[in-house]
Amino acid sequence: MARRTTKSSGGRGRSPLAEAAWLTVASIVLTAGSWVLRPDPLPLRAEPAVYRLELAAPLVDAPTALAFYETGTHLFIDTRPVGDPEFRTIPGAVFIRQDSFDDDLFELFDFMFPEDPLVVFGDGNLTGPSNIAGRLKDRGYRDIVILQGGLDAWSDAGGELTTRTRGEGDS
Amino acid sequence: MRWIVLLCRLAVGGIFIYASLDKLAHPGPFAAAIDNYRMVPYPLLHPMAHLLPVLEMLMGLGLVLGVLRRGAALIAALLTLVFIVAIASALARGLDISCGCFHTDGGHGVGLDLLFRDVVLLLLCLPPLLKRDGGPELADLLKK
Repeated sequence: MARRTTKSSGGRGRSPLAEAAWLTVASIVLTAGSWVLRPDPLPLRAEPAVYRLELAAPLVDAPTALAFYETGTHLFIDTRPVGDPEFRTIPGAVFIRQDSFDDDLFELFDFMFPEDPLVVFGDGNLTGPSNIAGRLKDRGYRDIVILQGGLDAWSDAGGELTTRTRGEGDS
Repeated sequence: MRWIVLLCRLAVGGIFIYASLDKLAHPGPFAAAIDNYRMVPYPLLHPMAHLLPVLEMLMGLGLVLGVLRRGAALIAALLTLVFIVAIASALARGLDISCGCFHTDGGHGVGLDLLFRDVVLLLLCLPPLLKRDGGPELADLLKK
């Protein structure tokens, strides 16, 4: 029986190296295209803190935090630094910032107790909330979780926001 | 022999296609799974988390359909070799991590069984790579 000599795309014509190069180039092009078209693309450069940060408290996602908020079991703590005169935050949230931690905590002395369940949140970066959670743990607070994704995730999950003006209880 | 090659093609191709699905859907957790190995520098982490599943999918399709078959087998063999090195390195460093092979949320922990599985996968890559006659191909079917 005569052996077929047809050259097809299946590897009988090109060398494996050339075919592998074609596949790699096609993959790179498809990856670039899908990256652009994805609704939630990863940033081009990975942020080491996202991967290496040893969090001081467990994370909760926004729907879970929303459930805490609706049942009223948890106190929400905004850890974002003071920025614009007008800002949006979670209604009822209190403020504890890294650069004024002791003063902020002192102001909440009669309001926030070590047995209270707390949700700390920031702008999505976990460094600030984790820092505050760690310092609160040092002061005896034990039931602390960090809102993953921060205020944006809260808002995306349908969480209520209120506009506050600096000075309205923002320590 | 060509049927053995075909079986190897379908097995390896099917495995890589299946492995790519969850990674394509969840590049963030997959990037975290890659980072657990502590081998990839951060500037390459996200590009790799996006590129690897696409490469696995294309290569798997190439093997199953017989399109660019030997090139797909070459990439499959090289990738499997990289996986073997990564797993062996994680084992040597005592890392207790998930392999990130098929599922990005948890999944199989790295261990000797995983190393053995990848060695078998590497052996399965060889017939489609080394044999020129690798069984039915898409181009053949289209000609009929």
